[in-house]
Amino acid sequence: MSQPVVHITELNLKYQHKSVLKDLNWTINRNENWLLCGTSGSGKTSLAKAMAGIGHSYSNIEINFNPESSLPAMAYYVANWFQFKDLEGQSNFYYQQRYNKQATETTATIKAELESFGKKHSLTFSEVDKILNALGFLELKNSTLIQLSSGEHKKLQLVKALWLKPQLLILDLPYNGLDVLSRKNLNTLLEEITEAGTQLILISNETELPSCINRIAIIEDGKIVEISADERTWNDIEVIDKPVPSFLSEAVVNSSSSEIIRMINVNISYGEKQVLKNINWEVKAGEKWVLHGHNGSGKSTLLSLICGDHPQAYANNFHLFGNKRGSGESIWEIKERIGLISPELHWYFDPSATVWQSIVSGFYDSSGLFCDPGYSKKAQTDELIHYFGLDEYKNTLMNELPLGKQRLALLARTIVKNPELLILDEPCQGLDQQQTLHFNKLVDELCKNGTTLIYVGHFESQIPGCIEKRILLENGEVNSVEILHKKPILTKNENYVTRSK
Amino acid sequence: MSNYFNTLPLREKLNQLGVCDFMDSSEFLDGVNALKGKKLVIVGCGAQGLNQGLNLRDSGLNVAYTLRKEAIEGKRDSWKNATENNFTVGTYEELIPTADVVINLTPDKQHTAVVTAIMPLMKQGATLLYSHGFNIVEEGMQIRKDITVIMVAPKCPGSEVRAEYVRGFGVPTLIAVHPENDPEGKGLAQAKAYCVGTGGHRAGVLNSSFVAEVKSDLMGEQTILCGLLQTGSILSFDKMIEKGIDAGYASKLVQYGVEVITEALKHGGVSGMMDRLSNVAKIKAFEISEELKDIMRPLFQKHQDDIMSGEFSRTMMEDWAAGDKNLLAWRAATGETAFEKTPAGDVKIGEQEYFDNYTLMVAFVRAGVELAFETMVQAGIKPESAYYESLHETPLIANTIARKKLFEMNRVISDTAEYGCYLFDYACKPLLADFMTKVDTDLVGKNFNEGKDGSVDNRTLIAINEALRSHEVEVVGARLRKAMTAMKSIKTA
Repeated sequence: MSQPVVHITELNLKYQHKSVLKDLNWTINRNENWLLCGTSGSGKTSLAKAMAGIGHSYSNIEINFNPESSLPAMAYYVANWFQFKDLEGQSNFYYQQRYNKQATETTATIKAELESFGKKHSLTFSEVDKILNALGFLELKNSTLIQLSSGEHKKLQLVKALWLKPQLLILDLPYNGLDVLSRKNLNTLLEEITEAGTQLILISNETELPSCINRIAIIEDGKIVEISADERTWNDIEVIDKPVPSFLSEAVVNSSSSEIIRMINVNISYGEKQVLKNINWEVKAGEKWVLHGHNGSGKSTLLSLICGDHPQAYANNFHLFGNKRGSGESIWEIKERIGLISPELHWYFDPSATVWQSIVSGFYDSSGLFCDPGYSKKAQTDELIHYFGLDEYKNTLMNELPLGKQRLALLARTIVKNPELLILDEPCQGLDQQQTLHFNKLVDELCKNGTTLIYVGHFESQIPGCIEKRILLENGEVNSVEILHKKPILTKNENYVTRSK
Repeated sequence: MSNYFNTLPLREKLNQLGVCDFMDSSEFLDGVNALKGKKLVIVGCGAQGLNQGLNLRDSGLNVAYTLRKEAIEGKRDSWKNATENNFTVGTYEELIPTADVVINLTPDKQHTAVVTAIMPLMKQGATLLYSHGFNIVEEGMQIRKDITVIMVAPKCPGSEVRAEYVRGFGVPTLIAVHPENDPEGKGLAQAKAYCVGTGGHRAGVLNSSFVAEVKSDLMGEQTILCGLLQTGSILSFDKMIEKGIDAGYASKLVQYGVEVITEALKHGGVSGMMDRLSNVAKIKAFEISEELKDIMRPLFQKHQDDIMSGEFSRTMMEDWAAGDKNLLAWRAATGETAFEKTPAGDVKIGEQEYFDNYTLMVAFVRAGVELAFETMVQAGIKPESAYYESLHETPLIANTIARKKLFEMNRVISDTAEYGCYLFDYACKPLLADFMTKVDTDLVGKNFNEGKDGSVDNRTLIAINEALRSHEVEVVGARLRKAMTAMKSIKTA
């Protein structure tokens, strides 16, 4: 019997002065691939970073690499968050920058980024194309970092890890933002590298997992508890039963027009590359839509048009809230009517704002707060903070919170003004199952009041029940528009698979 | 054309120099209405032109760009910037006659040629907007009497103007109406509406004059903003090399040090910056900055005098006429300095280390900010204007040094600033020669606190803190910072 690969004894760890891991013990032996779960804030990310030696090394974490293995003797951590810098080493970006072509050339291309990574770790370049291809990334090689969507950034992180093939690979929420096909292909690639000797620790709350996972653990009260696959179900999740704040039960103030969106042959292109082609789409007040499409199909560009964030809106024929875009309205008049959450909004959000400031800023559609909101807005914010169970984090800075809690605060920001149009682009990324159920219940509740909804989600299990129409994008074109009579079940030939119950 | 300022009687000179009013947010309640439905035509599409235009259009205004025929036919960057963002682009002849407001965002040096070309095409009663007053004040450009002439100058690089707008805020902005050209009295209303269109009204607006803007802007950029940062950086680097500090370390300390140090200045003024030092280091920095102020005062005064008399712009325009002979020679020399040619080393320098190991730069910055401010105020410029043109802009310039050193800083700033920067630098280095012989690595390159027990005399420290905090730049600064960034203070708290 060889030594264990990872041996953790009585690890204690604090996150922002709060004890998260308490006398934690964990032994990982050769050929074991673990799934690590736990609620948001239970310490999964802190544990993973400690194991990878990020920020601080701990004497009570012992890692024994295999000296005979040809794989790099390292514990490589793929974070649940991505980061990039411009060519001058700075990362002061803003969300709309990616839509302004002149501003995109300040970051490296994917090709250059991969070349520098490969050089650093002495990797063979011929091996990377296969991985790029499997994740549908090959044609993005000449794009620059700032042009990537959040799902594409996630893929870039994964490409690097799969190419590196470290002896111990720790993936933190790797499925976030990936479409169904990419998730499936990722699982196949993970099976291949574990076959070749990499050991895997996978942090995820998903159900479709690579077959190489042979142990499952959950962090409970700061300790590792091993569970069986059967114990991991959605059924025994306790649903939070708090009354929805009264101001959210009021009917939304609808614009004079019953027409929310009308697009006629909308086209968006960057130079030669056309990202949206002849889009025709109408959304009427009160309708509940789901927007589907593979990574890179044009979903975020389409949404950026609706939110007043895309400069090419002015060259297209489309109407928002009954007015032709570019007829003298300001983007702030548009944003006032929309509640938006998206992975990009989260990524570019001001990290130095407190939870409270972030939520109030939803009234002004700003990233961070720049004015005094007055009594009633403050009161509504406090009600929502309580509803989302964020009371103790009210004055905490966003960047001091785990991802799931940050996301919860931004979801509160999205609905705080009870907007006419809700745009939820993968709203539940980073949330645990209980939080997801709680939020979906709230969305269903809100939608009873006449709110118009556009929902984007790659995980069928997370889509709320009120959805009634679907638009499917494929390579920048509308593939289909249909009315749904029940919760959408996506068929296999559209590259979506249903979750087996 | 003759220098406008010099044609004025003293009474009017003082009058225009002394215009400065920090505007209350209630002044902007009318939003963009004064420009609604009007046709705005921007001349030039560089970083300021493009980003201001994007903001104005997103505020519901009608924006188009006009470029010289050659720029359109050659599909130059300015043409690409505008067309790729779906703006209408046309020649002067096509677009200027239709414009209600013509916005001149070309480089200073081209103003006379551009304005001479567009003025005959402008319709009766239109408005001409500048973002810098050099052409009007120093070159004495005469504008047709039916035309309203205003200035709106966002005090940040173009990319920031856009980034802050889309996040729901804005950048501090200076506005002015030219008293010789406000025939209908609509200038101020239009300037305010323009501020709302670019988001500047959320971050604080200073109502100034063309004269005050030019005379303070030139002074700030030549002395503290660019000139002294350049001199201080080169002297510091050379000193470290002379004393055997690793060149890579020295290069990194100098390149990023000014940015880290002036970040503290941005948030807490001169005293906030000085407070980042230990007590012993603060006392030392105070003492040497007092010495630096005494040494450099005559030079700062000479720059201000030459700016006021028009001597500076006269000699610079001579150089323009000579094909930028001096400017190009000086620029090339900057590219050849040892600091410029030594890449930053791959060493980690902690945030506090930049203060502890670069006490000399803290002293330079304090001396430069206070001297520039004092000299401007003595010359009749209001403290609020002087604050904007000294302390407020220093971190912005420091950021360009952090990005790509001095050559890049000089490339990014205007030619006017660059010319003045070199003038200052060449005069300042010899002045500081004696001073620099006394400087050792405890002030630059190594931790000042090393080997010291840290004890200080209470009364000395209290007196120094008092002197720093009661300086007028601190008193004005505290008030302006609070108003400028309404909520930003809470954000970073």
